[in-house]
Amino acid sequence: MLTGTALFLSSILTLAAIYAVIALALNLEAGVDGLWDLGVVSFVAVGAYTYTMLTVSPASAGQSYIMGFGLPMWVGVLAAGIAGSIVAFLIGKPTLKLKNEYFLITTFAFAEVIRQILTNERWLSNGVAGVYNLAQPFKTYFTPSVYPYILLLLLVIIVFIVYVVVHRLTYSTFGRSLKALRENEPLALTAGIRPDRFHIRAFVIAGFFAGTAGAFYVWYSTVITPSLFTSDITFFVWMAIVIGGLANNKGAIVGSVIFVLAGESLRFLDLGSGFAVRMASMKIAILGLILIAILKWRPQGILPEKKVKFSNSSKNS
Amino acid sequence: MLEVQNAKKYFGGVKAVDNVSIQVKKSSITGLIGANGAGKTTLFNMISGFIPLTAGTVIYEGEDITNQPAYKISTKGIVRTFQTPLGFPRMTVMENMLVFAKNRNAGIFTAIKTSKKVTPLEEEYIERARKILKDVGLGNKEDAWVSDLSAGELKILEFARPLMADPHIFLLDEPAAGINPANLNSLVTLIKDLRNKGYTFLIVDHNLKFIMNICDYIYVMADGKLIFEGLPDEVANADCVIESYIGKKKTEDTVSN
Repeated sequence: MLTGTALFLSSILTLAAIYAVIALALNLEAGVDGLWDLGVVSFVAVGAYTYTMLTVSPASAGQSYIMGFGLPMWVGVLAAGIAGSIVAFLIGKPTLKLKNEYFLITTFAFAEVIRQILTNERWLSNGVAGVYNLAQPFKTYFTPSVYPYILLLLLVIIVFIVYVVVHRLTYSTFGRSLKALRENEPLALTAGIRPDRFHIRAFVIAGFFAGTAGAFYVWYSTVITPSLFTSDITFFVWMAIVIGGLANNKGAIVGSVIFVLAGESLRFLDLGSGFAVRMASMKIAILGLILIAILKWRPQGILPEKKVKFSNSSKNS
Repeated sequence: MLEVQNAKKYFGGVKAVDNVSIQVKKSSITGLIGANGAGKTTLFNMISGFIPLTAGTVIYEGEDITNQPAYKISTKGIVRTFQTPLGFPRMTVMENMLVFAKNRNAGIFTAIKTSKKVTPLEEEYIERARKILKDVGLGNKEDAWVSDLSAGELKILEFARPLMADPHIFLLDEPAAGINPANLNSLVTLIKDLRNKGYTFLIVDHNLKFIMNICDYIYVMADGKLIFEGLPDEVANADCVIESYIGKKKTEDTVSN
């Protein structure tokens, strides 16, 4: 029983780690830069498919998808990031001129368009049937009972790396310029900050990390179908960063863990099969309640945006 | 130093600014006054690149900067303030200062590679910012959120920020609005000090007393047109100015006296 629980816990923490990578990416563009992006799932989807198509073997009889080069996984992950960036650039170039609400609607629409393409263009992605039995990293080195923990460990390391990179960007001159744009764009203009250039950079960086998260998602699920990439992911990640604290990178991670734990912990309740369906819909209701509670009593999130102080750091020089 | 020639701004049929020419000399404090809706702020927005001109030219240090984007104009040493100073609210006073530092070196890859919280270059900027903040009397506010500052402190910060980038000319949009008399005096001292250090000012304001007290030369606008220009004394006694500000009846009284 204990190992069962531990396995289940490690599985949902792995999922939380994947959400954390997307949340960190979204936090840079939405929390620090203030872009209202409701299409972050686009980058995840494109990253996931790019990774899969580059790393799987060629399509067998009855299947149809492009490429299938069987490349090494790390090449696939890198390509997933790059593909995410390219999509971010292509979507961002025309849409970043739009103001908040319009940007939100357009990015949301693009995410749907991408999912529809993946669903309907069978030659490209094998359509709704998807691709199954995808490989997981380092799987051959470990016994199946240990492997879930290895995957979790791997993702914890990845979250740490992404955290360090996003953290450095947030507190750099670049991040400060993004914050300035978020806070007061006309004033930022008088500081010589060029909005379009900074926004697109933030968007493309977010696209990169969200793209790699797509590849990690494939590791986790070992399956890829278009239905995995609905806008639910976008909303879940937004909820995670709002719960954790917008513009706080630790908050993005904490929010993702809380979000996934709260959602999945209902499965621990053994209420019999009659309640299973009801419990599944309860998940969304409970997450909604948490979000409302946070917005009412702690609108800055669990870990609010940190104040940047220079008073101590510069005395030691 | 700064010259606006025959500037026009039409919003449909409304002539917000109609054929206005002004000149701002180096190290001077030039005023621009006029009733509400006279077109002062529109003129400001055109000079600073926030809205395009319908016609006319803006020349700065011999260079035609007409209709250049705002971020480009500000890097040339022209800084402007806004009627309602907000700053960057959810950033500290120090961060507000650093945003305005020159050569911000906003490289992404450099940022990812740098493990230090503060780079040597930033160290210099921080020192500079501290000195400026101390000079303007905000020395103890370095770590405060800008959203927590008082209105007077915000006004002072408006001046302090651009000093990070060595501007040449300040365009001040209603610096005296909403400021209490005590703070107003320190603002006047601050502007005069900066002028003595060689900075140039173009100031838009409603407060006649403030403008008369501080400016070397004054332009008066009404209904989008320039109706008078001259030294403060001349402006104070010009009939057309009194008329545009106080109304006709008063003018008749003045005449009959």
